Amino acid sequence: MPLNTEQKTTTANALETQGIGKRFGGFWAVKDVSFSVKPGERRAILGPNGAGKTSLFNILTGDYVASSGAISLFGEDVTKQSIPKRIKRGLRRTYQHAYLFDGLSVCDTLFLAVAGVRGGWRQVLPVRSNDPRREEAERLADVCGLASFLDRMVLELSHGQRRQLEIGIALAEDPKVLLLDEPAAGLSPAERPLLSKLLLSLPADITVILIEHDMDIAFQTSESVTVLFNGQLMAEGTPEEVMADKDVHQIYVGGAHGH
Amino acid sequence: MRYFLVLIPLALLPLLLNDFWVSQVLTRALILGVIALSLSFLATYLGVVSFAQVTLAGVAGYAVAYFGPNTVGLGFPLPLYVSLPIALLLSMAAGALIGLVARRSRGIYAIMITLAIGVAFFYFTRQNYALFNGFTGFSGVIAPKMGEGNWGDPMPLYFLALGVSVICVVLVNGFVRSPLGLAVQAVRDAPGRLLALGIPTTYPIVAAFAFSGLIAGSGGILNVWFQERVSSFSVGIGPIIDVLIISVIGGLRHPTGAFVGAIVYVMLDIFAIDLIDRDRFNLLIGIVLLAIVMAAPNGLHQLAIDWVGKLRGRAEQPRTN
Repeated sequence: MPLNTEQKTTTANALETQGIGKRFGGFWAVKDVSFSVKPGERRAILGPNGAGKTSLFNILTGDYVASSGAISLFGEDVTKQSIPKRIKRGLRRTYQHAYLFDGLSVCDTLFLAVAGVRGGWRQVLPVRSNDPRREEAERLADVCGLASFLDRMVLELSHGQRRQLEIGIALAEDPKVLLLDEPAAGLSPAERPLLSKLLLSLPADITVILIEHDMDIAFQTSESVTVLFNGQLMAEGTPEEVMADKDVHQIYVGGAHGH
Repeated sequence: MRYFLVLIPLALLPLLLNDFWVSQVLTRALILGVIALSLSFLATYLGVVSFAQVTLAGVAGYAVAYFGPNTVGLGFPLPLYVSLPIALLLSMAAGALIGLVARRSRGIYAIMITLAIGVAFFYFTRQNYALFNGFTGFSGVIAPKMGEGNWGDPMPLYFLALGVSVICVVLVNGFVRSPLGLAVQAVRDAPGRLLALGIPTTYPIVAAFAFSGLIAGSGGILNVWFQERVSSFSVGIGPIIDVLIISVIGGLRHPTGAFVGAIVYVMLDIFAIDLIDRDRFNLLIGIVLLAIVMAAPNGLHQLAIDWVGKLRGRAEQPRTN
């Protein structure tokens, strides 16, 4: 379902989907999901396990090719664009399970995140200490609270620090839309407030879409909520509106089963 | 820096040893070490065990033979400053091609693909007479002249091999600290994540194989000058296994591990026959290699580092108490 020309030119949405879906054989992991997010908006995606939240992210980033529907970023249809092209347009993501380069240092990892967007990763000469990309990597480490771990190997980081690094990577080179997939997963109660603080400190012009099971973090950091259930959009609105929704209440408190 | 200190005894050794030791032990170990380094580089930094490194060395070796002086009357002689770059470019191109073919393969599948390429190249060189002179290959491939003698003489060839070895180690150390080298290591750890940073994975993989082709090709050229010949036997399954053994026993954690493995392998290969019956010396080699792998699963180089670390720990302990 391609976006029409009028929408392309008039839309003010940072991200918009129209009827997107992903089918694996006869099973629709995501089906006919349409929603839009305004620039600078903080949106939480909620839903029980298997609701299709991560699959939705995978479609948005290009990890999955959409089986149906269309995606636009700031009015531009990106449905058929490759992952690197979407990244160049400002789309970034973190992963549910910290998926990092264990054999590299924190600084080198953030350097690659910068070089991936800014370019120059084909360079075969060693990186100089005054390379602007390395300076940017150091700034990112500072932003995500890892400034004192620059030379630490990623393998040696704690789970919480790996989460911080994921966010640091996603913030490289002026992100416009940030997709955070359960950034608090596996964090200790002591680490969660730190993550909330980090999320709240993100620049206001970045659009953030957050998958999170921790309702405190989700509602604290988001102004709007989308609920998925069985791969389909179930409810949308402010946190208060969504929590007042009878169907949403049922899937979280009990009583509803996939149908 | 401490690795450069090793160069001092290596530079002095030829003054103390006879030609046999300089040529058959040290030079041969350095040449095998360079070829094994190309495998260690791929295994350590890309996470791919390639059985085609001897093939890459062979491509460069055959190119030097074909475009240089030989006694079989085949080829197209060119000046050294043309034939050498051609040989290295060909081995790099062959490496890139192998990388392109094996780019989606890991583990046992990458081993199978590269082994198939290695074996195919072996049979091709055996059966092709127009380019490779079939079974016989090229003989009389002498090293270039150097004043009164030539670079193939024991002492000059040793220093040439030592120089090439140092350059290759420095190149590997530099490459892995470059942005492309970091991308290669990122492919090893999490290829999907690298793609999510906007960096396609094919380019680093192909570049890593091409770079390994440059290293292997350098060793291949030295090997041809050392042997003064190249044939299908130079690229057969025997040398392929030898290089794998050298890389494993030396250790994959540091580029110099390949040279540690090479010297041990060469010593065993030469002297095992003096220690045991002629028919059974391969058994002794096998047992010793097995013992090394069991005693030093991370290679002899790492074992030596661990020992030095322990000794330093013991030496420092009394001072701290």
